[in-house]
Amino acid sequence: MTPIRFALRPGKPIVEQVIFAVQRALLSGEYRPGQAFPSIRTLAAELKIHPNTAHKVVQRLIQERWLEAHPGIGTVVAELPRARAGDRQRLLQEQVEQLVVEGRRVGVRLQDIVEAVSREWSKIDQAREANES
Amino acid sequence: MIVRVENLHKSFRHTDALRGLSLSVPEGSAYALIGANGAGKTTTIKVLMNIIRPSRGSVTVLGVDSRRLAPRELEQIGYVSENQEMPARMTVGEYVSYLRPFYARWDRALEREILGQLRLPLERRIGALSHGMRLKLALACALPFKPKLLVLDEPFSGLDPLVRDEFMERLLRQAGDMTVLISSHELADIEGAITHVGFIDRGRLLFEESMDGLAERVREVRVTLEHDAAVPSRVPENWLQMTAAGNVVTFVDTKFRDESLMGRVSGLFTGIKHIDVQPLALRSIFTTLARAERDRGV
Repeated sequence: MTPIRFALRPGKPIVEQVIFAVQRALLSGEYRPGQAFPSIRTLAAELKIHPNTAHKVVQRLIQERWLEAHPGIGTVVAELPRARAGDRQRLLQEQVEQLVVEGRRVGVRLQDIVEAVSREWSKIDQAREANES
Repeated sequence: MIVRVENLHKSFRHTDALRGLSLSVPEGSAYALIGANGAGKTTTIKVLMNIIRPSRGSVTVLGVDSRRLAPRELEQIGYVSENQEMPARMTVGEYVSYLRPFYARWDRALEREILGQLRLPLERRIGALSHGMRLKLALACALPFKPKLLVLDEPFSGLDPLVRDEFMERLLRQAGDMTVLISSHELADIEGAITHVGFIDRGRLLFEESMDGLAERVREVRVTLEHDAAVPSRVPENWLQMTAAGNVVTFVDTKFRDESLMGRVSGLFTGIKHIDVQPLALRSIFTTLARAERDRGV
């Protein structure tokens, strides 16, 4: 079974949702750089998605350098792609601002947000440790 | 289009099962025909497969009039139905061997792979198979000749989740190379696996669209005002189900675009405190669009 976890959410194209799930798995060390990534057919069958969707997912991840295509061998996991200039700023300013505004609207406390963020953060740490041992 | 239906009518003795149904299935897609029991799904599929004749309208499958489907086309079409007729006294193995010579493109290696993966007992008589096993056998017989078009009529009804999973996995391994048309009264189990969807109601198609398009264009919008809200006398055509309660107005925007929503809302309401936009679960999108189309049609 693939270590990619994915449950459909409304409102977002399936491709985007699967890409996110794969990125999460890669960051969690579920696959190591150089390791073979599942074929389109396997990915489709195991995630219960259409092969066309799986194909788009793999193409996008190759474009964004999470995966590498090796003709004759298949798709291989790449080293984690370097962040581009502006990624850090986009995250720390724009996306955090959005989170804060939405948080205020919904009426959660700052502490709730901080706790939720650190919970997600350590989930990835734990997954990594488990995958390294 | 690998399947094209235009203005299809089918009447049985006392009922009009199909009343002007139109649909188009693009090549390479996985198209789900969704509708309640009795909406006309099976009748449509039976017309497509030339099991019954249309009363009126035009139906082409693989570019050929459905009434003229010949072995040349049938060799490229797989058909799996809930009530498939199969010879009860043959064993699974005998039946597969019996079918093999009908298809020039039958791939024996693929056949073995499929029979193994679906764990079908070759020695057992078909009459002694469970419902789930029968459906798996029907699928196993429809795939080894690599059809261009695979038609599945309610394949999941009455399947337990485990069998459903096996069935789906097998299907998805080959789905990219063929066009799939699948009918179902439930969308939940297949929504990730399909690319297009058509909604059939009382013998007509209410709408059809790609799944990505549908997910992106429909949103539920809640507008909170500083004062009590009322539903305006005229609202844009694509804002559905508008209701007002207290100082909140809610509606479904079926042509949502982030850039233009604010402008259109403030053109209709004063004293806007904030606007909240949420995606809708597919099931709600369906009921909303279906209801709107039905109101329009009546």
